Amino acid sequence: MKMLTTMTTILATSVAVCLTASLALAADIAVVGGKTDDAFWSKIKKGVDDSRFVVEANGGKVTYLQLQTYDNLGPDAAGLVRTAISQGVTGIVVPDWVPEAEDEAIKAAVSAGIKVMLMNAGSLEKAKELGAINYVGSDEYLAGVAGGEYFGKSGQKNVLCVNTLPGSANQEARCKGVIDGIGKAGGAGKQLPLPATSFGDPTAIAEAVKATLTQDGTIDGVITIGAGDADAAASGIQQAGKVETVKLGSFDFNEASLDRIKGGAQLFAVDQQPYLQSLLSVSLLASHIDFGTDLPVAPVLTGPGIVDASNIDSTLSGVSKGAR
Amino acid sequence: MNSKTASQPLTIAKTPSAPDASGFSIGGLFRRPEAGAFLGLFGVFVFFLVFGSIDFLKPAGAASWLNVAANLGIIAFPIGLLMIAGELDISIGSMIPAGSMTVAIISGYYGLPIWIGIAASLGLGVFVGLVNGFLVVRTNVPSLIVTLGTLFAVAGLVLGLSVLLTGTTSVALKAPELAKFLFGQFVGNTFQVIIFWWLALTALYIFVIHYSPYGNWIFAMGGDKVSARNAGIPTARLTICLFVLSSTSAAFVGMCQAILFNSAQVSAGMSFIFNSIISVVVGGVLLTGGFGSIIGIFFGTITFAVVNQGIYFTTFDRNWSSLIIGVMLLLAVLMNNTFRTMALSYSPKKK
Repeated sequence: MKMLTTMTTILATSVAVCLTASLALAADIAVVGGKTDDAFWSKIKKGVDDSRFVVEANGGKVTYLQLQTYDNLGPDAAGLVRTAISQGVTGIVVPDWVPEAEDEAIKAAVSAGIKVMLMNAGSLEKAKELGAINYVGSDEYLAGVAGGEYFGKSGQKNVLCVNTLPGSANQEARCKGVIDGIGKAGGAGKQLPLPATSFGDPTAIAEAVKATLTQDGTIDGVITIGAGDADAAASGIQQAGKVETVKLGSFDFNEASLDRIKGGAQLFAVDQQPYLQSLLSVSLLASHIDFGTDLPVAPVLTGPGIVDASNIDSTLSGVSKGAR
Repeated sequence: MNSKTASQPLTIAKTPSAPDASGFSIGGLFRRPEAGAFLGLFGVFVFFLVFGSIDFLKPAGAASWLNVAANLGIIAFPIGLLMIAGELDISIGSMIPAGSMTVAIISGYYGLPIWIGIAASLGLGVFVGLVNGFLVVRTNVPSLIVTLGTLFAVAGLVLGLSVLLTGTTSVALKAPELAKFLFGQFVGNTFQVIIFWWLALTALYIFVIHYSPYGNWIFAMGGDKVSARNAGIPTARLTICLFVLSSTSAAFVGMCQAILFNSAQVSAGMSFIFNSIISVVVGGVLLTGGFGSIIGIFFGTITFAVVNQGIYFTTFDRNWSSLIIGVMLLLAVLMNNTFRTMALSYSPKKK
């Protein structure tokens, strides 16, 4: 009986909380994002989950709307934005991956009075054009330049950018940045685009890297567009017998690449710190909706951060908590 | 029994002992089911020797395509047998990461002995195969749909459990010496040890499929399942066995990858679905079932791997690689089809 009373009290309280929440018009935020089965988006998800505490403490809520596949990226993301509009949210956080497909939906959200924050893909110019309040994320080209310059600083002369997703604007910008960055430092670089049949097959990627290194003996730096690809590239370098001469870098990282950085088998990883992207964009947006704050810093760049031997230990402890 | 069922399995059944009355002959060799696949492979070799460099056949170069072929081939055999029996298994796409994540989480994240991780990884393969097999046999839903369901179900399960248990989607694994030696070393710093597993399995499959009654049962099932069952072949049990074989093989390849690359990711392996079916078809298995051979699949897998990796030994701009892969595969299959037609319509001259 006592149990029942407690239950009733809890129910009554939660109903009351819900009522106050909707009366106070607290931030109701939808975050559009990628599938959480890759290392990158699971960190975005953690940022969303962590920022949720703050939003909920103020009576609001946060939902994560994820894509089921990447096959139809732009239209699918636009569809999720429209889903969020129809759910009556007060704020939307969305990556502007394919502006041609998504801009219309984002404009529709803005004109419906919903506050929009661009995250992960986009730019400040785009945010202004669409009426979004800010852009939180990194600039792939600048990240590439940072990677290229890092290679240059450590003495590399000829860098290969292994692109397992040729044609994707993000990855092309990364590789272009690497090539320009090493160019600034007086070296040279080129891209190795891999066919779609190699995607997700570490052996095929390792062998492609090995073959390229044996064909062109002047390559002394290899950078991959993803952390998993770096595992494969490391094996390719080792098979080519060039561990001493060819340095490895990667965009993003996983536990194995951090182990390599710690052990010296990998030079560095360029990190766009995805955890910060969602943590900051959700908190900034909620605070804007709830309290009318505005951050003068725009765009809010979360990268490029470089992980190398100098900061590997603190990074590793972040990894064990799922945030890095 | 209709004539199709009767003639097709018989054609195959006879071929392993090809030199019958007439003894050995070049013509007889060309009429074997795998001859087309071999010639396709030969053509691809010549192409890359002409446009590439001889490095391609030196040990390091050969390892380039042998490593890819071995990983793919171990999965292509059971996929080919399923296709011969008129079924399909696309859940292998998520069984590869499931196999690698299982061993990485158990032995890498929790630090339990590697043998427990390996056993769990293969055990998961057996389990998913049983689920696939029972669903296909009991519900009569096409196996493409059943395994499409398990493809997503297993992928979701692996992702959910991985994030729940480890907080990440990529887990590192440091395997002890013996496991590394057996499943994930580079022999001579360049050949993945999985090549030897692949060769051993090839021999085993050739024996079972072409020299034991089970092989003929599979061909008969692909020809006409009802007649096969009426003839006393345990079609349900055989179907379940084949599904167990394919998902366990996929888990095995995933497990070897995790040990070799010291790391496992949740999202990987989807390209294996398409690549294994391509290899099998290039190897001369009919999409409609009932026809094919283990040696053919073996050559088909090598052809696919050579076409994929050969491009790195040429001077072509890498942006063209997909185009070249497509054209080469089409040519290989065309060559294969021509020879199959010749073989099937051959009638020996009267002496």
